[in-house]
Amino acid sequence: MDIFYRSIDRHRSGGLFLSAVFTIFLLLLLTFDSKAQNFNIQGTVKSATGESLIGATVRVKGILKGTVTDAKGAFSLEEVSAQSTISVTMIGFVSKEVPAARNLNITLAEDAVALQDVVVTGFQQIDKGKFTGSAVTLKVDEVKIDGLPDVSRMLEGRAAGVSIQNVSGTFGAAPKIRIRGATSLNGDNKPLWVVDGVVLEDIVNISNDQLSSGDPTTLLGSAVAGLNPNDIETFDILKDAAAAALYGARAMNGVIVITTKKGKSGNLSISYSGNFSTQLKPSYKNFNIMNSAEQMSVLGELERKGYLNSNILDKPDFGVYGKYYSLLVGKDDGTFGIPNTPEAKKQFLLKYANANTDWFDVLFKNNFLQEHSVSVSFGTDKSQSYFSTSFLSDNGWSVADKVNRYTLNFRNNYKLSDKVQFGFSTLSSLRRQNAPGSLSRQSNPVDGTYGRDFDINPFSYALNTSRTLTAFDENGNREFFRRNFAPFNILTELENNKIQLNLADIRLQGDITYKITPAIQYDFMGALRYIKTGREHMITEDANMANAYRAASTSTIAKANKFLYTDPDNPDAYPVIVLPRGGFYNRAEDEMSFYNVRNNFRYNKTFFEKHAVNALVGQEVKFTNRQSFNNTGYGYQYGQGGVPFVDYRILKQTIESNFPYYEMGKTFDRFAAFYASLGYTLNDKYNFTAYARYDGSNRFGKSNIGRWLPTWTVAGSWNLDREEFVKKLSWISYAKIRGSYGLTASTGPATNSAVLLQSMITNRPYADEKEAAINLASLANLQLTWEKLYSGNVGLDLGFFANRLSLTADFYLRNSFDLIDRIKTSGIGGQTFKIANYADMESKGIDLSVDAVLYKSQSLSWRARLTAGYSHTQITNVDNLPTIFDMVKAEGANIQGHPVRSLFSVDFKGLNPQNGVPVFINENGEQSSDIYLQDQNTKYLKYEGPVDPPLTGGVNNTVIYKNFTFNLFLTGQEGNKIRLNPLYKGTSNSRFAYSDLDAFPREFNDRWEMTGDEKKTTVPSIPDLTTNQLNLAGIYPYTAYNYSSQRVARGDFVRLKSVSVAYKIPAAVTRRLGMTAASLQVSAINMWLIYSDKKLKGQDPEFFNTGGVAQPVQKQFTASLKFSL
Amino acid sequence: MKFNICDSIFSLKMVMRQMKIYIKGISLILPLLGLVGCEQFLSTEPDSTRATLKTPEEVSQLLSTAYPQGNYVTFSEAMSDNAGDKGVGTDDRVNRGSYLFEVVDAPVDKEDSPDMYWAQAYHAIGVANQALKAIDAAANPSSFSAQRGEALVARAYAHFMLVSFYSKFYDATTASSDVGIPYVTEPEEVVIKKYERKTVAYVYEMIEKDLLAGLPLIKDVSYTVPKYHFNIAAANAFASRFYLVKKDYAKSLQYANNVFPGGDIAANLRPWNTEYLPLSYEELFKRYTRASENANLLLVETNSLYGRFVASYRYGLTNPIWDEITAVINVASSTADWAYPLFTQGEGNLLIPKLTEYFVKESVNAEIGTVYVMVPLFTAEEVLFNRAEANLLLGNQAAAITDLNLFASKRIRSYNAANHAVTLAKMRAYYGLVNTTAGNNQAVLNTIMDFRRLEFAQEGMRWFDMLRYGIDVEHERVGGQTIKVPKGDPKRQLQLPQSVTLSGVELNKR
Repeated sequence: MDIFYRSIDRHRSGGLFLSAVFTIFLLLLLTFDSKAQNFNIQGTVKSATGESLIGATVRVKGILKGTVTDAKGAFSLEEVSAQSTISVTMIGFVSKEVPAARNLNITLAEDAVALQDVVVTGFQQIDKGKFTGSAVTLKVDEVKIDGLPDVSRMLEGRAAGVSIQNVSGTFGAAPKIRIRGATSLNGDNKPLWVVDGVVLEDIVNISNDQLSSGDPTTLLGSAVAGLNPNDIETFDILKDAAAAALYGARAMNGVIVITTKKGKSGNLSISYSGNFSTQLKPSYKNFNIMNSAEQMSVLGELERKGYLNSNILDKPDFGVYGKYYSLLVGKDDGTFGIPNTPEAKKQFLLKYANANTDWFDVLFKNNFLQEHSVSVSFGTDKSQSYFSTSFLSDNGWSVADKVNRYTLNFRNNYKLSDKVQFGFSTLSSLRRQNAPGSLSRQSNPVDGTYGRDFDINPFSYALNTSRTLTAFDENGNREFFRRNFAPFNILTELENNKIQLNLADIRLQGDITYKITPAIQYDFMGALRYIKTGREHMITEDANMANAYRAASTSTIAKANKFLYTDPDNPDAYPVIVLPRGGFYNRAEDEMSFYNVRNNFRYNKTFFEKHAVNALVGQEVKFTNRQSFNNTGYGYQYGQGGVPFVDYRILKQTIESNFPYYEMGKTFDRFAAFYASLGYTLNDKYNFTAYARYDGSNRFGKSNIGRWLPTWTVAGSWNLDREEFVKKLSWISYAKIRGSYGLTASTGPATNSAVLLQSMITNRPYADEKEAAINLASLANLQLTWEKLYSGNVGLDLGFFANRLSLTADFYLRNSFDLIDRIKTSGIGGQTFKIANYADMESKGIDLSVDAVLYKSQSLSWRARLTAGYSHTQITNVDNLPTIFDMVKAEGANIQGHPVRSLFSVDFKGLNPQNGVPVFINENGEQSSDIYLQDQNTKYLKYEGPVDPPLTGGVNNTVIYKNFTFNLFLTGQEGNKIRLNPLYKGTSNSRFAYSDLDAFPREFNDRWEMTGDEKKTTVPSIPDLTTNQLNLAGIYPYTAYNYSSQRVARGDFVRLKSVSVAYKIPAAVTRRLGMTAASLQVSAINMWLIYSDKKLKGQDPEFFNTGGVAQPVQKQFTASLKFSL
Repeated sequence: MKFNICDSIFSLKMVMRQMKIYIKGISLILPLLGLVGCEQFLSTEPDSTRATLKTPEEVSQLLSTAYPQGNYVTFSEAMSDNAGDKGVGTDDRVNRGSYLFEVVDAPVDKEDSPDMYWAQAYHAIGVANQALKAIDAAANPSSFSAQRGEALVARAYAHFMLVSFYSKFYDATTASSDVGIPYVTEPEEVVIKKYERKTVAYVYEMIEKDLLAGLPLIKDVSYTVPKYHFNIAAANAFASRFYLVKKDYAKSLQYANNVFPGGDIAANLRPWNTEYLPLSYEELFKRYTRASENANLLLVETNSLYGRFVASYRYGLTNPIWDEITAVINVASSTADWAYPLFTQGEGNLLIPKLTEYFVKESVNAEIGTVYVMVPLFTAEEVLFNRAEANLLLGNQAAAITDLNLFASKRIRSYNAANHAVTLAKMRAYYGLVNTTAGNNQAVLNTIMDFRRLEFAQEGMRWFDMLRYGIDVEHERVGGQTIKVPKGDPKRQLQLPQSVTLSGVELNKR
């Protein structure tokens, strides 16, 4: 809607000029008409919204007499016959004819047909009237949320059918973006980002599952993290086959085209934009976690049940109780830290029971995020230039993170002659970011857990650490408890174990346009991009992570400490320390070089004023090399000038366990394509377009089978509003029907069209028997091909009442086939599980967006925009034999007959009345506490629902009152299911089951305590240690409970995404300050989760709390200042 | 960075050429030209971690994996008469199903399952075929002759093991009608390929062909760790086993004698009653599957849990069975003792320290990982027994008895040749046979069989012998019926994985 209004403004001023010229022309020629004298007419012309229309042409029909309206919209005509008809025309409005009268107050309806908006596909700019595809154009001013540095997050709820889930809110991490839902089971489902015609390749490919893993590589996940939001002019989201056709085999998941700003001819214009934000500290009141008094009483029960005896001193981790027992042990001087009396114990524990540590307070702060952007634009007819630079600085929401980003953008366009134009642009960014030290997540299908060694993510630490623990002792010194057998204090650890990420991204681009004849034009585009990132993981000698390698204070600890080393040649030997000094300096580097060259010929001609033909033929080549490197540096002594102190045995250990202590790998993407499109428009009403593209990729391997793929699309549209019978209906201002059908594709995750051989070291126990070997990782698959998608789209664009209400609705059906998944074969060829193109999927959905001007007067207007997208996917054929563990994980699994990424649960059947241990339907269909998570018999699992929300949308309200603009934006989703965060730790049925270190959720208050409770509660008991060790040996009912139907919530939510007030400083004031425009704005982002499932109890429905570097999106306040000189 | 026709020079040329009149023509032809040039551009490998097979060394590296890395010991041992029902112990699907002669309901990625052995054996065959294809495609195939030899023998071995386990055991009289297993000689290059089960005779023909073609080409110098490859000794040992099964005793004897230079097996037998005697079980584990042990002719790393559960499986070696196995001491002396140490892991869980677990952690400090067991596939002991049996059946009874004594001399504690000699009289007495040629021969054969059973206890060889000699199996169950699986019972053939039907291969009838 907004789009239309802005264009009208533009053309209205143009219309004024034209009308004036036309009127002068009329007046010059036609001043002698004065026959029948009847009366003089006085009148006004106004728009439907009551604005005076300046420069409207008023004519007496049939004779050469006319005038234009003045600055008040008034006109007068003398000596007009009473029988005559007065016609009023104005560009941008529907012409009107009225019978003559002495007083005429004429209201003109706005004419949407006159709009000249374009859709930018990255290959072409197509007149919206001729466009046949389904696309959404968003102007950055409409969607920009000041203070959000990553543009991908701004699109949430803005375009129908575009679902954005903030699985992590950390800067640089990508949200999960789906355009019309998933199209592939294992391949990428993320859209293609295109900036000024050039595809933004990802530095590292982050798989669907990795996105929410919290691993350090996710910091490189967002393709657009390096873009300055102020440089962006528009987003065009290409949704159907026709819109994205020219991306052919890359377009399966839709395309988001970003167009950046260009210089304009005219005076030098300088703009500044500054955002100043703060993000709120999280608070315990939003989470369901026991306070220290409640926690201490559960610890008391644990002690009575035998868990917290003095033998916890042999445990790798302990908290308050461990500290108590360690103080009981006498010191060398004969004194005791604490006397062994009940009173002393009570006093000791009471101190911690009252601690009620606010870990959020300790680890988080109300940070300060500032963003400054300056742009300069100027130009002449012959050359235009745009320059911008920006600086973003976030001093960190938690004590461990920090981001600085610098961007630079130069864009120059030159006109050599009427025939030749060329342009250059440079886009670069630099990022420096700190994150808490983190290793990759590991899954353990044996006991059903995901683990991350040495996780110090502040958010998950605060949520998972008992509030009885304290960060400081009574003297204000840091207080240490034990983790990995070594002293641990989270603040000390965050200071001594961190990741620093550096990223430099440079892009150069050049374009040439040559008009060979008026109808034929040649375009050349060449781009290169180079990105280099380094992630330094610095773990000093004082870090718990380094000290864990040196924890061997007792023989029990030495034997239990997995970070010590036992020589395999001497299996009975005592484990030894192999990192006697220093810490680690681990480094990971990713580098990408990208080249892209494109040549186009365009043809554009209209024959006999009714047959408009346009054609495009072109060729494109893309070349991407990526290199990734990582190195584990042992024994780096940060305090000793950095001299590494390496014990050879740590390398021996590394080598013996077949773990490479450094790695380097390169990947090479080669891509070539030929494409053509042909468009035909009859009478400006009927549009037909056909696209064809022929793509070649090296992704499939050296073999040329399946390398090339032709794709095609046909589409048509009918501009109904230009038909006479619709023109009569004055309430319809715009109407268009669109339809498209076509084939798009994607390369998919397999690369084995030729046999896949990988070097390896044989898994043999003795160093002198190991060999370098070559592993036949995958047989050749001559049938390997692209993942493909047929999609059909029918769309309707309607505008009513001069576009005060407009509506776009699209219905689509999609049929994905040749999808790649795992298939079990006979194994006779040598590979039982193959990755092959055999799976199929169907999806259908509706995108709907409605824009309405709910009220409009000269000083007040209220516009609302509603977007909603519904998409339902169903896998129609796949047979990938998952295990139970594969299916119950939070990320979901792909199962035939269900949506892509469906969540399944172990079917919970209550608590055992004898001991309160949970009972499920196990893999054999029996009620039991023993369920084998690695079993392939999954038919007794319970289907919960899709992980990706089928329905997503947003509602945006903008109220403009004089110089004030109020904006209120809500987003929401519906229909998906969420796996709740685990209630029990991995080792819940071992001696280490319950620790005095972990925070317990309040659910534990309702736990089973005695027979009969199973009728009232579903929260399992804390079994006493003997039961645990005897009856639960080798089974994992507590971790299975984490994956049970009890631990699922609905994902529906409505969120107040942003609310803002902007004030535009009046022109009189800005002029005095020497400015052309200025505005101030205050906004609040993510303030309120209005509605969500109660079961979530504080868990964010979008966020995957996986530790590492993951953080939820934060509540944020922003003040912005903008001005132009 | 090579761009070829598709590169920017191309586009510059295009800019210049398009100045000319034939714009439309060029715009149609150029893409076609580009298409041809792009083929090279697009043939770049997508990543650098891919290995190639251009040199003999590279093919050798590939052939390091041409050996079935699945373990047959768990199911073989449980099917044999070395296993009894303890009533308690580790309940494992493979162990249970095998003992009960049911189809083992365990997926292909379950360690030690018959399905995993099937998959791994065919994987080994696939590797061999890939190597042979690379050799045939090489410019100078002759420089790959050692690799060709290894590939052919490895391919023959994997098929031989498969046909032994999954088809009716070789019987010259019925082999030409018994259903074999698919003999695969070329790499599979489609997702689902159809295969055919021809006859056992056909499979044996193919094995023999590959074995005879490959064996002379093998050169030990081409290996970095020869004991993990078909070295000359191992290949001859395989040939000796193969011809023993085919009852071609002359050939079996000939190959057995080729294993060690001068046929000197004695020096290469495991020193159980000398060097092994004082070792702790940890030390024994360390030594038993070492490549430096002369007795080990061919080793393979297998993905197996056998090392962890060998003693604790519910269906395993029991004291009465061990007594039965060791009773063959009577052919030497009723007062002598075997040198094998028998350890217990908890009540009734018996273990001779032979095969152990090698745990490969997922990463340096991970708590999860993959379990391996190194398995000796051919040993000097087997060669000795093959030679003895071949000699016996060729009529050279004395030579057989010499070999039996040789074995006894390496296995009996405080061996004393005078008191511990294995003699015809002692053997006849022990087996209750009469002093006739037939009786004597039977006594010697029985002794060979029992020595084999003893020597290879907990190593899976017994089941192979039971198939070969046609020994009936009776498995007793605690509180259940005895399972009788006599010679010829179709349950003696392992069932093929269910998924073979996808390839048009029929399952075994049971």
